[in-house]
Amino acid sequence: MSVRNSLLALLATRSAHGYALKSAFEHCTAGAWPLNVGQVYTTLARLARDGLVRSTQPQDHDTDRHPWEITPAGRDALADWYRRPIDPRPPRDELAIKVLLALALESGAVDQVLQTQRTATMQRLQEYTLTKRDTDPHRQLAVLLLLDAQILKAQAELDWLDLCAARIREHRAGSAS
Amino acid sequence: MKSDPPLLQLVNVTRVYHSDAGPVPALGPLSLDLHPGEFVAIMGPSGSGKSTLLALAGALDQPTAGQVILAGQNLAGATPTALAELRRRVIGYIFQDLNLLPGLTAAENVALPLELDETPAASARQAATQALTEVGLAHLAQRFPDDLSGGEQQRVAIARAFVGHRRLLLADEPTGALDSVTGENVMRLLHSQTRAGRTALLVTHNAAHAAWADRVIYLRDGLVADEVVAPQPPATTP
Repeated sequence: MSVRNSLLALLATRSAHGYALKSAFEHCTAGAWPLNVGQVYTTLARLARDGLVRSTQPQDHDTDRHPWEITPAGRDALADWYRRPIDPRPPRDELAIKVLLALALESGAVDQVLQTQRTATMQRLQEYTLTKRDTDPHRQLAVLLLLDAQILKAQAELDWLDLCAARIREHRAGSAS
Repeated sequence: MKSDPPLLQLVNVTRVYHSDAGPVPALGPLSLDLHPGEFVAIMGPSGSGKSTLLALAGALDQPTAGQVILAGQNLAGATPTALAELRRRVIGYIFQDLNLLPGLTAAENVALPLELDETPAASARQAATQALTEVGLAHLAQRFPDDLSGGEQQRVAIARAFVGHRRLLLADEPTGALDSVTGENVMRLLHSQTRAGRTALLVTHNAAHAAWADRVIYLRDGLVADEVVAPQPPATTP
């Protein structure tokens, strides 16, 4: 979904070839999510099928010979995307599943799961921080915002792991007494 | 750096408090070396021994067993006068509660520890100006604390902590009252102070702030439960 809407956002500023769209997307998102150019063509074809973009030469089926442009329906879809918050339903969370299974099925293992993940997540946080240290907030704003997002996610994960450890401990103390 | 002898060594220290209900172990046995230029963060739940560790490192408390060696001096054998001198000349404390004196300017607040240590006023002022320059506040030296933002006040407190030649910075939740960007700037400042050769021990609940340190030590029940060493930046080619 996000590639679809990103292509619409880029085409709303000006018509472009598939490869130029790939480059522009990667430039705006600081290279964090490299796009496969094949994926760009497939997505453009689907957007065209749905009437949201069109080739400037509709007779010619060579996908990258002519620039693509956004249609009025495409502009409406884009405006709708910007206006709506993103879908809040979380994707399946492997860490949460692992912790819950370790707790339910073999409660001794859960401490080790929490500790191992804590160390790994802290290492990830340290790596992001190392990169952040050398990021120029004026010249690399997009990079900095991406790092902030990653750092806050890692921090939330650590906070959650600590909360799990504390709650499990409290639970065990309660069961023991 | 690691090749230098440690500035601070905790050797097998334990701290047990005594209550009516009997002895309460608060910390240890725990050993920790802090080398000049190192930045170490301590994390852990409440009651895990973080504050006890910081008090022992800062010569504000004595271990029940084990040794604390600061700047080559074993604190167990030190006289109260020698301890007070170490606290004044080697250690700088940074707390969430800044304790800046409202009637003194930023420069006067920073110069105060030196003046209390009988440094001549002119040299104290010069050192204060230097410290304020290092934290990027030279232009606000004549402002009173109430005319400074929270982040600026915290930077004044940091300048006061390392003014003169104090080498060990002990920080207890120094960013608690600050917003994210300002808190991060305080971490940037602590980090740059350690790259300049000072040594810092930070107690924090904030993992993102702890990640600025070279090592993050996680305490649980008074013991080291985990220690995570930060990756080193790629060596710069000359």
